[in-house]
Amino acid sequence: MKLAQRYNRANLLTSSIILVITGVIYYIAIHFILTNKLDKDLVIEEKEIQAYVLNYGKLPSPGDFLHQKVAYVKLGNKKVNRNFFYDNYNRANEKESEPGRTLITSVIVNGQNYQVSISKSRAESEDLIRLIFFITLAVTILLLVSLLLINRFLLQSIWRPFYATLNTMKAFNLTAKTDIKAQQTNIEEFNELNIAVGSMADSVKKDYKELKTFTDNASHEMMTPLAVINSKLDLLLQGEALNPQQGELIDEIYNSVGRLGRLNHSLLLLAKIENKLIPEQETFNLKDLIVEKIKLFQELVNGKNITLTQNLLDKEIMMSKYLADILLNNLLSNAIRHNYNNGTITIDLNKTELIISNTSKDNTLDQAQAFERFYKTPSSEGMGLGLAMVKQIAGLHQFDITYTYQDKLHIFCLTF
Amino acid sequence: MKLLIIEDEESLRDSMVSYFKGEGNICEIAVDYPSAIEKINLYHYDCILMDLTLPGGDGLQVLRELKKINRKEGVLIISARHSLDDKLNGLDLGADDYLVKPFHLSELKARVMAIVRRKNFSGNNILIFNEIRIDVMAMEVKINDKLLNLTKKEYDLLIYFISNQGKVITKNAIAEHLWGDEIDLSDDFDFIYTHIKNLRKKIVEAGAKDYIKSMYGVGYKLEQI
Repeated sequence: MKLAQRYNRANLLTSSIILVITGVIYYIAIHFILTNKLDKDLVIEEKEIQAYVLNYGKLPSPGDFLHQKVAYVKLGNKKVNRNFFYDNYNRANEKESEPGRTLITSVIVNGQNYQVSISKSRAESEDLIRLIFFITLAVTILLLVSLLLINRFLLQSIWRPFYATLNTMKAFNLTAKTDIKAQQTNIEEFNELNIAVGSMADSVKKDYKELKTFTDNASHEMMTPLAVINSKLDLLLQGEALNPQQGELIDEIYNSVGRLGRLNHSLLLLAKIENKLIPEQETFNLKDLIVEKIKLFQELVNGKNITLTQNLLDKEIMMSKYLADILLNNLLSNAIRHNYNNGTITIDLNKTELIISNTSKDNTLDQAQAFERFYKTPSSEGMGLGLAMVKQIAGLHQFDITYTYQDKLHIFCLTF
Repeated sequence: MKLLIIEDEESLRDSMVSYFKGEGNICEIAVDYPSAIEKINLYHYDCILMDLTLPGGDGLQVLRELKKINRKEGVLIISARHSLDDKLNGLDLGADDYLVKPFHLSELKARVMAIVRRKNFSGNNILIFNEIRIDVMAMEVKINDKLLNLTKKEYDLLIYFISNQGKVITKNAIAEHLWGDEIDLSDDFDFIYTHIKNLRKKIVEAGAKDYIKSMYGVGYKLEQI
């Protein structure tokens, strides 16, 4: 639920309830006041009759005026309780009756007991109440409509800076070099929000940059000791009289140092791609590069007696040649390394996609994780960074890379 | 060859000196930026091996200095940075080659030899090892004046061996030299064995001696018999 919607709902609901309750109270109060006034008028009339009886010793003549009727009934020994009540008021020459108010009382004239009933029409006060009711209703509707409009337009414009900030936050990219630009507003809270968001983004960026620099430096610093180890091993080998066991040990150290070095370089390269610090793109024919790579890997393919089938069409592609090199190296060396002797590799290249499929001693890779960093099959001797790098490079150039396992073939499809 | 090794890491510097010495090579060292500048202003070298990150200054500045005083020394940059910017900057400023740490000393030597060969090139660029004669420009190998038919990789391997004659070269170094250091070939180096076997066979069949031998299962060595 949107904030404005939520606010509107609460606002209108309370306003309506309060207005209805006020209306009811208003109605009751006015009704009470008007009835009270009518009753007072009736009492004045009663007093006038009593005064007349006292002065003249007879009843005043019963009257039927426009708004008032007075009637007398001889009571004899009966008694009557003085009380007010509502009844219908019939006007002399009109058929329809109006609401009325009557006072029944008694008066004694010359020892004779009379019941006096004084009636007044309530039509005027009813009209008044109706008028007040309609005015109140009109005001209520006007108020609700204006509330709705205010909420809609004012709220929208008041919250605009908030949504602007929200959008910048959504678009915030840690690796991008742009800063969060706050929209100027004269609402204090939003200004505070902008400042808070800005400083948060700055500190996150600063931390990220520091972390990056740290990782970068750490990775680079590791290279020199690795170079020292490697060079000392190279020297150790030149010495005389090593036996095969020692040779084997040295060989294993070499392999590990080599892996460590490659791991470091891969991580640095991944970071570089992530930060888009990559060499310029150029247009070249991907087919030529693939042919070149096949030549490079020829001995390895032959070594495993792999049948390599290629269906290559010309494909002009715009990307960093350096990264294209790494992408093909990784895909092809995987296809060879995880293959078995006498297996097959098929490379298809057309205008829209590059498909490399190969047989393998491994079963299907985990589709969801195949391109994750450090994901590798238990039998793999690699570092588990090759495919992650392929994915990064593809992503950088807006290519799509997918993996499927079909008919015992591992299929990697790069869609341009 | 007279070499200047500019490297602040003592262990690494010592390794390089000790790998290069002998065979009439002279190695001078500089441990920081000022001493590097001093050395290049005082002496001439066949090749300068230089680390880019130096105490007291940027290695690239040494390159600029060399250019300023109009010197034609071959320069090989050694850097922990794989950065392409570094690479391009260095090569733009007149460096001849770029080697990324960690590296094999055999690779370093092969690169230095290639630079020196190119720099000293005077009409004929011929590499001779006993009866083996390699015309580097034409990429031709002759044994006893008979043309030897080698594949590109066999040719590269032979030059690599001759550049590092008398030294044990590991299988890792060979793999990286032939396939590049960015390719993760895993630890399966069987194919190198086959490769070297073929090269040896071709050389022996052409009438040369079998100079290459396997060492402790770790690598191979080409040496005078």
